[in-house]
Amino acid sequence: MAGSSARPVWMEKPSALGTGGKVAVLAVISVLVLYPFVSVLATSLSTEADISRHGGLVLIPDHPTLAAYRTIFAGGVVTDALLRSILITAVGTFCSVAATVGMAYGLSRRNVVGGRFFLLVALFTMLFSPGVIPNFLVVKQLGLLDTYASLVLPTLVSAFNLVVLRSFFMTLPSELYEAARIDGAGDFRVLARIVLPLSKGVLAVVTLFYAVGYWNAFFNAMLYVNDDKWPLSMVLRQFVLQGQSLSDTVTGSEAAAPAQAIQMAVVIVSLVPILLVYPFLQRYFTKGVLTGAIKG
Amino acid sequence: MGLDESSLAMNRRGFLRTGAGAVLAGAFGTGVLSTVAGCGSDGGASKVSSAADVTLPTTIPYQGPKPDIAATADGVPAAFYTYPKPERAFPTPPLKNEKITAITNVFGPPPPGRSKNPAWQEIEKRLGAQVDITSVSSADYETKLNTVIAGGKLPDIMLYDGAGINNLPRFLQSACADLTPLLGGDRAKDFPHLAMIPKTVWETCTQAGKLYLLPIPRNIVGGSGFYNSTLFGKVGVTDTSAIRNADDFLGVLKELTRPKQNQWALGSTNFGTTPFHHIFGSPNNWTLDGGKLVKNYETDEYKATLEFLVELHRAGCFVPGSEGWTKQQMQNGFAAGKVAMIYDGLPAYAGPTGYFRTLPQTHQGNEAKPFLPFGHDGGKPVTWQDNIAFGWIMLAKADEKRLRTVLKACDFLASPFGTAEYLLLNYGVEGADYKLDPKGNPTLTAQGNQDTLVPWKFLSAPSQVVYDPTRPRGTTSTSCTARTRR
Repeated sequence: MAGSSARPVWMEKPSALGTGGKVAVLAVISVLVLYPFVSVLATSLSTEADISRHGGLVLIPDHPTLAAYRTIFAGGVVTDALLRSILITAVGTFCSVAATVGMAYGLSRRNVVGGRFFLLVALFTMLFSPGVIPNFLVVKQLGLLDTYASLVLPTLVSAFNLVVLRSFFMTLPSELYEAARIDGAGDFRVLARIVLPLSKGVLAVVTLFYAVGYWNAFFNAMLYVNDDKWPLSMVLRQFVLQGQSLSDTVTGSEAAAPAQAIQMAVVIVSLVPILLVYPFLQRYFTKGVLTGAIKG
Repeated sequence: MGLDESSLAMNRRGFLRTGAGAVLAGAFGTGVLSTVAGCGSDGGASKVSSAADVTLPTTIPYQGPKPDIAATADGVPAAFYTYPKPERAFPTPPLKNEKITAITNVFGPPPPGRSKNPAWQEIEKRLGAQVDITSVSSADYETKLNTVIAGGKLPDIMLYDGAGINNLPRFLQSACADLTPLLGGDRAKDFPHLAMIPKTVWETCTQAGKLYLLPIPRNIVGGSGFYNSTLFGKVGVTDTSAIRNADDFLGVLKELTRPKQNQWALGSTNFGTTPFHHIFGSPNNWTLDGGKLVKNYETDEYKATLEFLVELHRAGCFVPGSEGWTKQQMQNGFAAGKVAMIYDGLPAYAGPTGYFRTLPQTHQGNEAKPFLPFGHDGGKPVTWQDNIAFGWIMLAKADEKRLRTVLKACDFLASPFGTAEYLLLNYGVEGADYKLDPKGNPTLTAQGNQDTLVPWKFLSAPSQVVYDPTRPRGTTSTSCTARTRR
């Protein structure tokens, strides 16, 4: 018993009451988390009558309908925007990761000419944003208005991601670099064969950050490109902002989907792709970011 | 066209004047505000410009198809049960191989682009010009417009929907075309569809003592909201204009309030107390009293309205807690029969999501009707001219030839109801975008619902009529005996 009593209380076998309490608390938290999702999904499947009857907060639609989804996907505007978003996210993420890796690697090496200056220039952008109009003028003067490049180039390198990657690269043992050098490897080979294979975790995180950023970005699209080049986020934003007006524009004999159902359907459509990707990458999140930040 | 940046430069006094102008803007309404804000340029003697100095376009009334319900001199628009046999207003394209750029609002998702949109292609073909439109939602419009202005290259046509433009009068003077030489007086005859717009609407288009704007007209009168005629009928009211006075109305609203049946007479006041102001005769924002401008807050009518609303609150006629409602909650409450009255603009009545349709859909057997006000003391109520224009169009400065080209495009887009061009602009191409029923009313196809999202009607537009193809006989005559106030 002496040994047993010396153990801290949290190492004891939990009582039935304690276990029951934990289950209850976790169940309540789960309900709090799931409730909005269920309500959003249910509202997206509801008719005008259902929404009115439940005062706008539907949990189980009485007459489920896909009318809101049909409205959203009618005419191919959303599907076209979806393809554009996938393309912008894929190309943008690839370019951003490539640029960030290159810059982080260069800045992680000692005695690089101007390295400190360029690092400060990058860090400066974390503290002071250039503002909407200066950004617009730069994009305009580069001739990038109404091009897909304007959605990628202004946000190509994130200073935060740069710092995370640079910090991680600096933690790699210098012996590895020296050994590679002795074997005659140049910087590109060192980066490709030594550094990147050791950085999969942090690269996954940075990739996810960029991908989510490109997927959700709408502001640059609103400023720089016309509506025929809008990504999904901007199109969906239109649905959310103009849900009521959208219903009003449907002037055919068929009853339109209710505005709230359309807005909730939009939330579901924008959530699904991220929900599909997250479970596979989430485990890298904590590990990758903490590795870069703490060891840096 | 490029901006004259030096003319936009502002010193401290200019900044203060702008601030004063902005304050007055909120107070006076568009037509007057610009005149005040625009007075007194840097240096030199100040001269107060006046909207009265502006030569407005001479109105040439539309000699189009005979309406089923005629318009009234007070501004109630004409109404049609069916679409008249469409006549071509432009037998040949008014322009030839031109290119016009524009920035405006879009409501709803982006429409299919030109290459996938037969309506867009046909409109450009009949106009004789390629129209490149930059459009964003009204929520984003201010940011987008100001960014484009800062970029210096302005499109030919710019919507002004009330978006915050720094020092609007000076922006108009330096970057936008003064349309007075092209549209003032009888010169408007060159653009016959723009000339059909009534003087009341043009009066909202003056800024800094000049005609800088084209209107996107609305129905002039915004109405007094809507009521559930089934619920009112149960307490013996079949026509709200027949209610004798405020005391009787108080009794009606108390009877309509039945909390045990989850029913109240009224919901939140957040979305307008306009019907009550009409009943008590409050002025529309400002009134002239012996040559002196008086704000509505200062009038006895306004005070009487507030006292009546307080009395209603004390009587429990409002849904408890409804002051925090969103507009959507308010609409849900009305559609579900929880509240018996709602204030919303008249345009919210018709169409597939209009109250006349959503109320019976969600609360079977119930019917929504426009609320016709009565006088609180048995006299006449008032209505307001509070829906004159959706917004205005600014044209970028250019030489006269170019301005005439752009105005011709605006004239085309302002083709009135009854013309083939109006049908094309609003319903697209027959077959692909709409089908005509046996009476000649257009019904949009699924593709038409998308193709007609292009915001043509926010580049230039004609005066509105009352017409709802989804319910041809549903347009109701609301012969109103109220006094109409600006």
